[in-house]
Amino acid sequence: MGLESLISGEGFLTTKINDLVNWARKSALWPMPFGTACCAIEMMATFSGRYDISRFGAEVVRFSPRQSDLLIVSGRISIKMMPVLQKIYRQMPEPKWVISMGACASCGGVFDTYTLVQGVDQFIPVDVYVPGCPPRPESLLDAVFEIQQIIEGEKLDSGKHGS
Amino acid sequence: MTDERPDPADGAEEAPSTPEPAPAQHPVSAALTPALSSTILATLEHQGQTAFVVRSPDQRALLEHLRFEQNFEYLKDVTAIDFLGRDTVERFQLVYVLHRLTDHLTIRVHAWLSEEADEAPSVVDLWDLARWGERETHDMFGIVFDGNPDLRRLLMPEDYPAFPLLKDYPLKGRGERRQFPYLQPRGGEMVEGTPPPYPVTIGRGMHTPDYIEEVRRESRPKGE
Ligand code: SF4
Repeated sequence: MGLESLISGEGFLTTKINDLVNWARKSALWPMPFGTACCAIEMMATFSGRYDISRFGAEVVRFSPRQSDLLIVSGRISIKMMPVLQKIYRQMPEPKWVISMGACASCGGVFDTYTLVQGVDQFIPVDVYVPGCPPRPESLLDAVFEIQQIIEGEKLDSGKHGS
Repeated sequence: MTDERPDPADGAEEAPSTPEPAPAQHPVSAALTPALSSTILATLEHQGQTAFVVRSPDQRALLEHLRFEQNFEYLKDVTAIDFLGRDTVERFQLVYVLHRLTDHLTIRVHAWLSEEADEAPSVVDLWDLARWGERETHDMFGIVFDGNPDLRRLLMPEDYPAFPLLKDYPLKGRGERRQFPYLQPRGGEMVEGTPPPYPVTIGRGMHTPDYIEEVRRESRPKGE
């Protein structure tokens, strides 16, 4: 990138540790996809070539919650699934963020029935909601930007993530 | 389209012309033994598909006959219908959909099941697929299939307190979907709220008399 020609020899740079850590976190979000219904199809489209979430540093999709820091809940969560989702949320190491993708995950959508949890935010903390049924990949990308903005504004000693 | 439906135009011509005195008997019902035919309450025809209506537990003998004598080797589905509030023979109707692969003939067997009996003979020994259908029917309606070796819940969580497809079970449940603790990150510790206890259920896990009355009232045709 020509950077090395500007910083010739052993350069150094000054910054705030807070900004440096946040920059690292926001540029390498590792998503944990929790796709339970049709929204997951759009999520897959977002991960794949055409929309390519890796342009924004979030392409390392981990199917293990222990290796990820961004939970994307995409789809309906039934009462049989909610304990699983909570377990997965607990297994993710701090710091972690949650996107609730689509109408169903955010509020139950059109399925106002006995089986379906009416919004995962009643049971796990959600950072960004994505409206739509299903949301277009652009909306999910926008949610990732929102998460990045949230990360930028975080203070290391705020205690939010257990520091 | 290869199935031999009668041409609709033909049917329209024939229908008003001659009221047939004795409609040709369906080949399946013609092959029934007299003892079995006597248990059949009605024979329905709809869209070229025949259905025999019996009263539980008579369907067991009929299904056995259809399986072994008439070679209906494929059971498409076992399910039930709840007719709460309707003026029907009994409250529940079990529905068996059978198929014969040699001539692709599908028939149904409907069996009325009273609310008090609440128990029907299993057909798992006739068709293995009945395991799943009966489990699902049990899960949704609470009907017990006598002889099914594995009558656990299929779709709902194991500790679910009700049978949700019963007509007297409210569509939005009784608060089961709120039965989870709330997790929040605070100082790195997970703080959980306490979930409220499961709502009190009555009888077979379902209804109050008031609620049944309400369903009955609502299911009456308009203008009564
Ligand atoms: S919001 Fe729409 S697309 Fe997404 S899971 Fe619900 S029904 Fe499917």
